[in-house]
Amino acid sequence: MNDLAVRFTGVTKKYPHFTLQNVNLELPTGSIMGFVGANGAGKSTTIRILMGLIHQDSGAVEVLGHAMPADQAAAKRDIGFVSEDMRLYGPATVAWHMEFIRSIYPQWDQPYAESLLQRFDLKPQQKIKGLSHGQRVKSALLLALARRPRLLVLDEPTTGLDPVARREVLAELTAVLADEDRTIFFSSQNTLDVEQISDQITFIDRGRIIDSANKEIFLDRWRRLRLMLPPNTALPHLPGVVEVGGSSRLPVLTICQFEPAMVAACQEAGASVQAVDPMTLEEIFVVNVQNRRDRAIA
Amino acid sequence: MNSSIVISQSDGRPMYLQIMEQIKQKVAVGEWAPGEEIPSIRMMSVALRVSVITVKRAYLELEREGVIVTQQGKGSIVAPDPGLGPRLYDQEFEEHLEQVVRIGTLLGLSGEQMALRLHDTASRLDETQKNGAQQNEAQPGDEVLAKETL
Amino acid sequence: MNTYVVTRLILKDWYLNFGLFVAALVLGFATLAAIAAAKATMLAVILGTIVLVTILIGMGAVVMSSPFNERKQQTLPFVMSLPVSYLEYTTSKIVGSLLIFGALWLALLLGIVATILITPWFPHGMIPFVVIMAVEVLVSTCLIAAVSVTTESQGWTIGVTQVGALGLNAVGFSIVRLPGIGHAMSGPTIQWSSTATLLLLVEFAAIVLMIGIAFWVQSRKRDFV
Repeated sequence: MNDLAVRFTGVTKKYPHFTLQNVNLELPTGSIMGFVGANGAGKSTTIRILMGLIHQDSGAVEVLGHAMPADQAAAKRDIGFVSEDMRLYGPATVAWHMEFIRSIYPQWDQPYAESLLQRFDLKPQQKIKGLSHGQRVKSALLLALARRPRLLVLDEPTTGLDPVARREVLAELTAVLADEDRTIFFSSQNTLDVEQISDQITFIDRGRIIDSANKEIFLDRWRRLRLMLPPNTALPHLPGVVEVGGSSRLPVLTICQFEPAMVAACQEAGASVQAVDPMTLEEIFVVNVQNRRDRAIA
Repeated sequence: MNSSIVISQSDGRPMYLQIMEQIKQKVAVGEWAPGEEIPSIRMMSVALRVSVITVKRAYLELEREGVIVTQQGKGSIVAPDPGLGPRLYDQEFEEHLEQVVRIGTLLGLSGEQMALRLHDTASRLDETQKNGAQQNEAQPGDEVLAKETL
Repeated sequence: MNTYVVTRLILKDWYLNFGLFVAALVLGFATLAAIAAAKATMLAVILGTIVLVTILIGMGAVVMSSPFNERKQQTLPFVMSLPVSYLEYTTSKIVGSLLIFGALWLALLLGIVATILITPWFPHGMIPFVVIMAVEVLVSTCLIAAVSVTTESQGWTIGVTQVGALGLNAVGFSIVRLPGIGHAMSGPTIQWSSTATLLLLVEFAAIVLMIGIAFWVQSRKRDFV
């Protein structure tokens, strides 16, 4: 059994106005990876390459041990895919779709599917064209979840859902991971969700992976240090300072490689540490992207 | 065993710390007895809708602090040490004291001034509690609602 | 080739197009009944033929629009998430479309032949011509299918449909002038000439060629969404 559910090595894809460059990704079996990026950063392209729907220009893609896109038919037997721009067949009912999927995948779990119908508040006899956006998303998720696939690939699974539906979906996603052999890869604009349920986090911006790490390490490494400097004291030199804000007497340092020893180092340099603030994933992401763009311009 | 831990999204502290604190409180209060089995990391992750890695970290830290013990392949239990409850409360008390001293220093208070403020606050709260207790005592003729045990 | 999933996809398209199929069938047979009941005027025959051909082409266009409809209605990602390769998906589209249309076509062709045989005033000599023209409609529809699947473009498909309709008329007129066809038409018996056989062979060859080209073009595509 392969340790890695997904492996991208040096994947590149060129379009007229956008290039996905040298993407390297490793997703261990049994974990959840949250994929964060601005619109147009390359999230959807990466996901489509993962599913074999787009052929990369160079680089190797391996999903569940299968080379993509060559082996995609076999790989997709064990992958559940839901993307934000995916639609089901309007004139058909939810029940018809369930039956359709059931006829193709032997692993369909009917009792589980029915419990999902209840929890997602969906009526099987309703036609897809009569559903709201949120209900359509939930229907597509149901179809993917009820097969209990080894890998779930989700492009914006909670976008457009009301808070109650979001909570239900997050609950289902974490429940999937109760089985150590199952893996989830999902992209989301909703950094709160990513922060809550991800094991691994990857940032993508303008076609490049800009950071990828274990979530707890991410949240540990980034801090905002609020210092109070006595007059005529220089700012202490610290490694990994990404941004300096605030004023000259009350500087605020954004640090990406925080160590507890830095607090003592600041105090020895004469600065008094007012606060050591953790940062939310959203703040980390924005600072990360902003910093790269500023450096690119400079 | 039903997990009744609740994570607060508006709590600014890291999630693993919240989980640790609530588990320590359960042990301190006696809800989870020494030697008792606690939910596995994956079960807890599902119940809290929180990533496995966060729960794993909380459990690792708790084990380092001696609050729980993880048996290889068999899950985790509350540490069998009988004095654990009071010890945890004592630890929390110590942490709060340190924070009081830190803030007091920022305010420019001396050790004695801080001790005085502590004494005043203790007396004030004691008074309030005594008055409240009198109001809460049931008088003859009052309606008493059924008490529900969760 | 994973025939099981390809079959499921074809059945899926059948299900989604079934209402249309039944409607076209009913309309077609109603027209045939009207022709049979009408007087022996050339006008009735011509009108009836136009209606039938319109039904066939209309149904053909709807069914053949299925590939680019999948893209337009954004159901393509859903289908591509199933355990199929792009080639298998294409196969299901081409085969499925031709099956649905073919069923309608065959039913109407048999209906037309039956109407000619039953109706007292209809010269049976028309039958070879009618068969050739019917197969010509099939050729035209295969062309639409091939274009639709390979270009996945609504514009191209509509364009080819219109060209096909015009072409049908042109072919019809030129075939009637051919020796071996024209003069046999008004006769009371079916006269099958070698010219007729040749025409049929050419038509079937065209169908095979177009489908072959369509498959070949599809197998060269790299990006499926």
